[in-house]
Amino acid sequence: MEDLENNTTVFSTLRSLNNFIAQRVEGMSGLATPGSSQSSLQMQYQQRVQLEEQAGQIHSKSQLLQVEREKMQMELSHKRARIELEKAANTNARNYEREADRNQELLTRIKQYQEREMEAENKLKEQIEMNKSYKKSMETMSKKLQEKESKLAEANETITVLKGKISELQWNIMNQEMQMTSQDSQKQELMEQLDVQHKKWQEASQQIQTLQASQSLLAEYEQKIKDLEQKFSQQEHDALIVKNMKAELARFPKMERELRQLREENAYFREMKENNGLLKEEVEGLQRKLERYEKVQAQLVTLELENEKLLGKLKSWEKLDQSTGLNIRTPDDLSRQIVALQQRELVLKEQNSTITNNARILEKARQQLQEETVRVQSQLLDEKKKREQHEALVRRLQKRVLLLTKERDGMRAILESYDSELTPSEHSPQLNRRMREAEEMVQKLHAHNTELEGQLSQVLEEVGNQKQRAEMLEVEMKVLKSQECTADQSLFVSKEEVDALRLKIEELEAERSKLEGENRALEMKLEKLTLQGDYDPSKTKVLHFSMNPASLAKQQRKEEQQQLQEECERLRELVRVLEGGGSIPESLEGVGSFQSPQEIAELKKQVESAELKNQRLKEVFQTKIQEFRKVCYTLTGYQIDITTENQYRLTSIYAEHQGDCLLFKVLLWSAHLPAFIEGSAHTVASCSILPGQQSLKGGTQELAFCTLSREALLMCRQVWIVSSYQPRYTQDERN
Amino acid sequence: MAKQIGRDQQGITLRGSAEIVAEFFSYGINSILYQRGIYPPETFTRVQKYGLTLLVTTDPELKNYLNNVVEQMKEWLYKCIVQRLVVVISSIENNEVLERWQFDIECDKAAKDESTPREKSQKAIQDEIRSVIRQITATVTFLPLLETACAFDLLIYTDKDLAVPEKWEESGPQFIANSEEVRLRSFTTTIHKVNSMVAYKKDSFP
Repeated sequence: MEDLENNTTVFSTLRSLNNFIAQRVEGMSGLATPGSSQSSLQMQYQQRVQLEEQAGQIHSKSQLLQVEREKMQMELSHKRARIELEKAANTNARNYEREADRNQELLTRIKQYQEREMEAENKLKEQIEMNKSYKKSMETMSKKLQEKESKLAEANETITVLKGKISELQWNIMNQEMQMTSQDSQKQELMEQLDVQHKKWQEASQQIQTLQASQSLLAEYEQKIKDLEQKFSQQEHDALIVKNMKAELARFPKMERELRQLREENAYFREMKENNGLLKEEVEGLQRKLERYEKVQAQLVTLELENEKLLGKLKSWEKLDQSTGLNIRTPDDLSRQIVALQQRELVLKEQNSTITNNARILEKARQQLQEETVRVQSQLLDEKKKREQHEALVRRLQKRVLLLTKERDGMRAILESYDSELTPSEHSPQLNRRMREAEEMVQKLHAHNTELEGQLSQVLEEVGNQKQRAEMLEVEMKVLKSQECTADQSLFVSKEEVDALRLKIEELEAERSKLEGENRALEMKLEKLTLQGDYDPSKTKVLHFSMNPASLAKQQRKEEQQQLQEECERLRELVRVLEGGGSIPESLEGVGSFQSPQEIAELKKQVESAELKNQRLKEVFQTKIQEFRKVCYTLTGYQIDITTENQYRLTSIYAEHQGDCLLFKVLLWSAHLPAFIEGSAHTVASCSILPGQQSLKGGTQELAFCTLSREALLMCRQVWIVSSYQPRYTQDERN
Repeated sequence: MAKQIGRDQQGITLRGSAEIVAEFFSYGINSILYQRGIYPPETFTRVQKYGLTLLVTTDPELKNYLNNVVEQMKEWLYKCIVQRLVVVISSIENNEVLERWQFDIECDKAAKDESTPREKSQKAIQDEIRSVIRQITATVTFLPLLETACAFDLLIYTDKDLAVPEKWEESGPQFIANSEEVRLRSFTTTIHKVNSMVAYKKDSFP
């Protein structure tokens, strides 16, 4: 209610305010006059201020009312909230009480349950203890049982083992008894076999002996066969050699005849060769002479031609005398004339040169004079111009003087008139003013005058300059005209110059074409050289790898060459030695090393095999010779031993004493029979047997003898029989 | 393959160009050695390169020598200081020069300072190299027979102020006394241009 009342008052005040403002605005518009009194404006301003104050008051009042309304609303809302809160608090308190009661009930229950739990735990513990004690007792009982059972088992096992052993032992005894019997039987059998084997062995040894005897016989027979075969082959060789020798001997006389013929032919051919040489030299000499004569002939022909030409020339020279009519008889006159002409030519040339010099000097002087005239004329024109300028100045000054005098007269007249006028009246200020104005007019007119005079003088100067230029041009025209007439004379000179220049141009063009041709040729050469690989040593250099294939190939080649040369030299030495017939020295044997290693290995193998064969033969020979000597001794009864070089000892089974022997010494071996043998008996005396010389034709045999015992004689005789010597007694030895 | 495609897209750098030219020399020298019979044909084996079947040597010493030279060439090509490579074929007996295969190299030195690669496709370069190698094979038909045993040498023309590396030495140019020259095709990678030519000794009996 209060709010509504407040609102209406607010609105009513606002309306009144707006009305008042509208009235004032209308009133204000009628008073808008510019430039009237200031008091009306102040009144308006004061009224406006008052209105504004009222408006502000009303506005604040309305704001206050609004705030109060809001406050009331807030208080209401606050009260409502408080009421609600109180209600909520009440309900919460009731809930809280209920829950506290519940809590207490639950606590009492928990306590009861806890007491029950404790009792149950105690019971459990007691029962667990009882269980443990029972278990322990059970364990002890079970252990005891197990021990007893194990003991029982062990006892059973021992019983079974013992039983087994007993049975085994019985078995073993049985077996051994069986074995004994079997071994006895075996022993008997083996004894019987032993006897049998023994017998067989005896038979086998007998057979071996017989076989060995037969083998030795076989070997002897084989050797005999080989000896016979060797002898046969030797005899064949000898037969062949004899045949060849006979054939060669037959050829020998023929060869001698042929030799003689060849020597004669040789001598003949040598003579023919000498003759041929001599003839060839003669032929060469003759050919050279022929050539020389032909050359001389050709020279003759040319000389004759020259002779004729010279005669013709002489005749023409002689005719010159008649043709020229210059009193010439000899070439000397001609030469003198020529000299005179040349001197005249020289003189004329000198004159020519002096004249040309003079002409040039005169031309130069003329040009200088022309230049001077031009200068002088220009100076003249300058002087003229200056004079005219001065005259114009003088005229102007005279005119000025006249004008000034006229002004002066006029001014004097005016002054006099003024003076005459001044005494009657007293209009001095006006007159002063007029005077001042007149003076000013006069000054302005003077200034205007000086300006015009200045312009005039400038114009006159310009006119003077133009006139001077025109006169200068006229002078130059005259000079040029004068020059034109001299130019006609020099036309000929310029034509000559033009011709000379044209000739030069042609020469230069010819040179240019030649140079172009040379340039093209040089470019072609350069192209060719670059294709060939040429280069500028000052800007480029040529590099290559040191170990390049070409150098490696060269090195290999050199080494091969050196090796081949060395081989060549070695082979040459070998050839020389072989041709000389000497043995190959060890140093050259290395040449044969060029054989392949395979051949060397084969040769080595062959050498080894040959050496082995040699050794085997030696061994076989040793055994065989010992057997042979034994057999000889047993069959014949005599043994021959070698004591030293060329001395032999003969011993016999039939000697009276064991130490008896005959000593023999060989003096000379002949082709077919042992010729000289000296002998001595060991116990009796020395004895020398000197059988005679044996030759193809046959000869006597002599024996020197000494005192011997009967046995020694017997031995000697037997020896003679064996060696087929005829004894003869000498005087010494009869005793 | 990815590497090659990448190279195609990227263009030709100075190092790539040096590798291409060095590779061409390696195969070219092998072809010359086979065609002229300097080494026995059974020591060569076939490989595929530039779309052709080329023959390269299996001799380990020769391979080692060629690898050394080609690696050095690669370095010098990268530095643009090599002007020419020459294969000199001479007779072993009398050291007479019988044939000279010369490859002139023009290098664009501005490529050293450039960072962007140049535009030329790998395929175009390969086609050019293929035509050069085919021409080398074809020239064998009119070259005179090498009747004596021959050996070859590789000469390299470089700038005068280059330091001579280890295992290399200076040599003479080994001109042919009385020669005929034939200019062959050339190929370019836009950084290196290789001109080929062959000079051979004129036969004494035409």
